[in-house]
Amino acid sequence: MSPAPARTAHDIGSRALTWLHANREHGALSDVPRADLADEAEAYKAVGETALAASLVLRSGVAGTAELGLARELLEFCWGQLDDGSLLYERMLRHPLATDPMETYAHFFRGGYRHPKVERLIAHTVALRSTHVVEHIPNRRLAVANAARVVGLDHGPGASDWAGLTRATWLGATPEPWHIDWLTGYSVTHTAFHLTDWGRLPDGLPTDLAHYLTRWLPVWTDIWAEAGQWDLMAELMIVGTCLPEPWTEDDDWQRLAAVQHADGMVPRDDQPVDGDAAQRFDAHQHPTIVALIAGTLALVRALDTPKQPGS
Amino acid sequence: MISERARTAHSESADQLARRALDALQGTGGAAVAAAHVESASSGSDGDPAVALGAVRILGADVLAPYILTGQSPPAGETETLGLALGALPPTDPPPAAPPDGPEQAWTMAWIDWGLSTALSRLDPARSPAPAAPLPQAPPRCDDSAPRHLPPTPAPEGGDRAHGSDGTAREGWVPWSVRMGQLASLALPGLDGPVHDAARSGVLGLARGATRATLRRDFPTAARITRWLAWLDADGQRLPLDPMLLTEHTGLLGGGDRTALDTAVARRLLGVEAV
Repeated sequence: MSPAPARTAHDIGSRALTWLHANREHGALSDVPRADLADEAEAYKAVGETALAASLVLRSGVAGTAELGLARELLEFCWGQLDDGSLLYERMLRHPLATDPMETYAHFFRGGYRHPKVERLIAHTVALRSTHVVEHIPNRRLAVANAARVVGLDHGPGASDWAGLTRATWLGATPEPWHIDWLTGYSVTHTAFHLTDWGRLPDGLPTDLAHYLTRWLPVWTDIWAEAGQWDLMAELMIVGTCLPEPWTEDDDWQRLAAVQHADGMVPRDDQPVDGDAAQRFDAHQHPTIVALIAGTLALVRALDTPKQPGS
Repeated sequence: MISERARTAHSESADQLARRALDALQGTGGAAVAAAHVESASSGSDGDPAVALGAVRILGADVLAPYILTGQSPPAGETETLGLALGALPPTDPPPAAPPDGPEQAWTMAWIDWGLSTALSRLDPARSPAPAAPLPQAPPRCDDSAPRHLPPTPAPEGGDRAHGSDGTAREGWVPWSVRMGQLASLALPGLDGPVHDAARSGVLGLARGATRATLRRDFPTAARITRWLAWLDADGQRLPLDPMLLTEHTGLLGGGDRTALDTAVARRLLGVEAV
């Protein structure tokens, strides 16, 4: 990546982080009854996604002091919303087959948080065959495998069959690239995210999948950019940063910068943005998280990729 | 400047001519294509022979596809009609320069004329009524690593031979593949030249372009670009996707006579008999 888009990527991520931090209270779980939180994964999904983005900023090694401070406060806020992890523990006790507490815990683990009782329960859960055959869609099973890997429990009898899990996904079959749809686009991005632990392990993508993505990502990014699907477009840009040879185009970063609002919010699509601050947070928190991750990972790869001679 | 109404008339006439070519190819209509089309326009109350001859120039070598692909000889009158179409407004000589130096549309038409004239002389060398059309300049080359929407961009002064450039302009795969689609009537057996060389060196760009057009549900463009993939398959090139499945897909989901003709030609190139 040349210096200009690296700067654009940094600015996008930095502004997105500022908005997520400034609006974090809109994601507070205080109004949700605790029993609902233990019963409904959807109720705390946004907290988990915010924690993921914050943990990646902290992991990146490229964030400035101010950004590290915001990311740390954001992760601390999310941890507090989950009652320092106790809520995840309660949910695991009540729903032993639910994997989302383990997936969410991995984000905090990455950011340095620990909850020993949650971890003991995860270690037990990962050892069960049952956990590995929960009837998730295939890319979600990779999310579970990656969570176990992040927490350091992907070994022994409970280790995941990464190759088998990968081949079960849509991407793993390297299908006709012209027969993808919007929802399957998200399946592709998540398969790449989990295989590489969000860009940390680019070689986690099997060689043939990396080649396949290198060929077709430019097409998919183009059509969803044209359709104004900024959320999916930015997720595909993250996939580009997860490849062994990162793929990026300056125009995509310029477009993402152009759609980002002055306060840092990134709208999910090209439809008008309306509603009060809480409604805006609800509707556009996800694409703004995606933009933060995209900007962060792009900068990491720009700095760790050796420059081509003459570039 | 051509009016919208005149444009529509030419486009409708080209569709009808494509249907005649398709019928002739599949053996479901008469063996005459261009001659029957112009004859019909001359005899009908609302027909215009000039528009019908213009349609021949729009379809280019595709009016000869039924004979090229089946080995049958064109019936009497067919070559004369094509001579008339080429003679009515002879191809510009010398042809305009390739983009970005020359005008896009005129250069494209020069290639389509070359295709028609060359196919005609190959098919019926003794009776070819038109002089060979001049060979236009080669198209820009597809640069897979350039920004995908990069317009034709002149190569650095003196070329960049160290990076495999021969001095021709380079272009992103999106506009490049769309333009190759506009030249799809050249994707026929027996035609070979600089456009075909560009296709050979732009396999990934064509595959991406066909994929993009299909996902955008622009099936006419998808079918045209896919036809190049079929031509490359017949040429022995390795492709990054299965041209047969994509041909079936665009044929089943797309509509219109020209798309149906592109699909039928692609199927022949791939060695599958027409449905």
